[in-house]
Amino acid sequence: MAVTLCRLLATDYWFVMNDFASRMLRLDRRLIFLLITVVTFLPLLYPFGLPIRVSPEVQKIYDYVESLPEGSVVLLSLDFDPSSKPELYPMSVALLRHAFRKHLKVMGMTLWITGTGMAESVFSQVAQESGKEKGTDYAFLGYAPGGANVIISMGQDLYAAFPTDYYGVKTADLPMLKEVRTLRDVRYTISLSAGFPGLDTWYVYGKEKYGFELGGGCTAVSAPRFYPLIDTGQINGLLGGLRGAAEYETLLDMKGKAIAGMDAQSATHFLIIFLIMVCNLFYFLGGQRREQRG
Amino acid sequence: MSTEILIGAWVATGLSLFMYSFLYKDNPFFKLGEHIYVGVSVGYGLVITYYEVMVKKLYVPMLQQGNWWLIIPTLLGLLVLARFVPAIAWLSRISFAFIVGVGSGIAIPRVISSLILQQVQGTLKPLVMAGDGGVTWFTLAGLNILLILVGVASVLFYFFFSIEHTGAVHRIARIGIYFLMVSFGAAFGYTVMARMSLLIGRFDELIQYASPSYGYPTFVLLAMVIVGLILWERGRAPESGSI
Repeated sequence: MAVTLCRLLATDYWFVMNDFASRMLRLDRRLIFLLITVVTFLPLLYPFGLPIRVSPEVQKIYDYVESLPEGSVVLLSLDFDPSSKPELYPMSVALLRHAFRKHLKVMGMTLWITGTGMAESVFSQVAQESGKEKGTDYAFLGYAPGGANVIISMGQDLYAAFPTDYYGVKTADLPMLKEVRTLRDVRYTISLSAGFPGLDTWYVYGKEKYGFELGGGCTAVSAPRFYPLIDTGQINGLLGGLRGAAEYETLLDMKGKAIAGMDAQSATHFLIIFLIMVCNLFYFLGGQRREQRG
Repeated sequence: MSTEILIGAWVATGLSLFMYSFLYKDNPFFKLGEHIYVGVSVGYGLVITYYEVMVKKLYVPMLQQGNWWLIIPTLLGLLVLARFVPAIAWLSRISFAFIVGVGSGIAIPRVISSLILQQVQGTLKPLVMAGDGGVTWFTLAGLNILLILVGVASVLFYFFFSIEHTGAVHRIARIGIYFLMVSFGAAFGYTVMARMSLLIGRFDELIQYASPSYGYPTFVLLAMVIVGLILWERGRAPESGSI
């Protein structure tokens, strides 16, 4: 009698659980959107300051920039457009601040025509706040069409690839570029890339041929395919997505957009992991009910 | 605050909210935002291309600085447009032949060197090294080398279709599948991270534009979108199914 009662209760319990699981699986997906919205907004409004651990690939870029002597020429190629701004813009700000803090000469350009205006604004803004002078401390060359051909052309003759800078001044007349005739005169190149042409183009057509050191930054989507290049030494470091930017900001001890976003990033990741686990649990519970009915 | 920045803040906020309104369901606000995005992207691309390429890289160097050799690439570029005129469409082949020939010549050796040979070299690193300092035996870093080697070899086995996957080949290919699964998982994790970063970027600006210095565009436009969606829902004939 007791055993039968227990079995009945257990069966009822399973049916209730299965019914609940099936209803949860049919839940309006807009509730998930709402949850993500809340979990993203709250840490942005009230940050709780989770610690940020610096990964070796980010540390390597920082250390390389630190090791450059004052006045060395660094090339920063901002190969992205506004659609990747949240990930790559904080990286460009952090790298530029670091370079200007070290009194390096920074040469800027882009291989993405739709990113030209944004690239120029980041250069002029950071230069202004760092008290750097256009043409003397930094030069923004703008955009040149051709992707790989631009890099090859810069490797042969920089003045031919970019006869004038973004503002229409002859590159040969710029004090900063007096000693820079080709890419061989550049000590370090960093490409912040959201796709093609970008970091791939720089190591295939630039680094291999002209022998400068190359580092990179990319969107999180493309980060996994660049990791093998660190192992082979084709790039000396990598900033991957918002996390990479936040790590660089941490190294600079700078409160930037990336660090501000990392709490929200961690919170949404926790929520997504939780939802994946719960959905799998409900799926198997609901599936068991279907099997029982079948 | 300048007028351009204020207008920019209101437009950016409005369009962000229009696009996010799709999360509720397809609606006129989303469609408006989508069409504006397509139109502005094309228009912006055309204007920038005209100014940055046609004016700065062609018109100024050729007509103002006398670099008349630029007429050759200009003609090659114009010949591509011959495809639109059936009678002279064959002329475009000259340009395409040039593009394919030069492109292949530049790309093939560099890509083979960078993406194949160097990667093979990175895969086949020695586990035991002998040098002036003596012999370095298998270390913890060697575990990574071994893992990479096993991963590459087993995945290549999985994609080897010339023999039936039975016995030892099946078992090695199975290990390859596990490596592929780990790789897909890592790629998906990074993709989630990227999408969340984009969301955080937009929300960050929406919070910034919610301040009084911009005139509260986030609150005002959010209220307008919500009221608009309610009115739109009321004005629509009832649908039989939900989304």
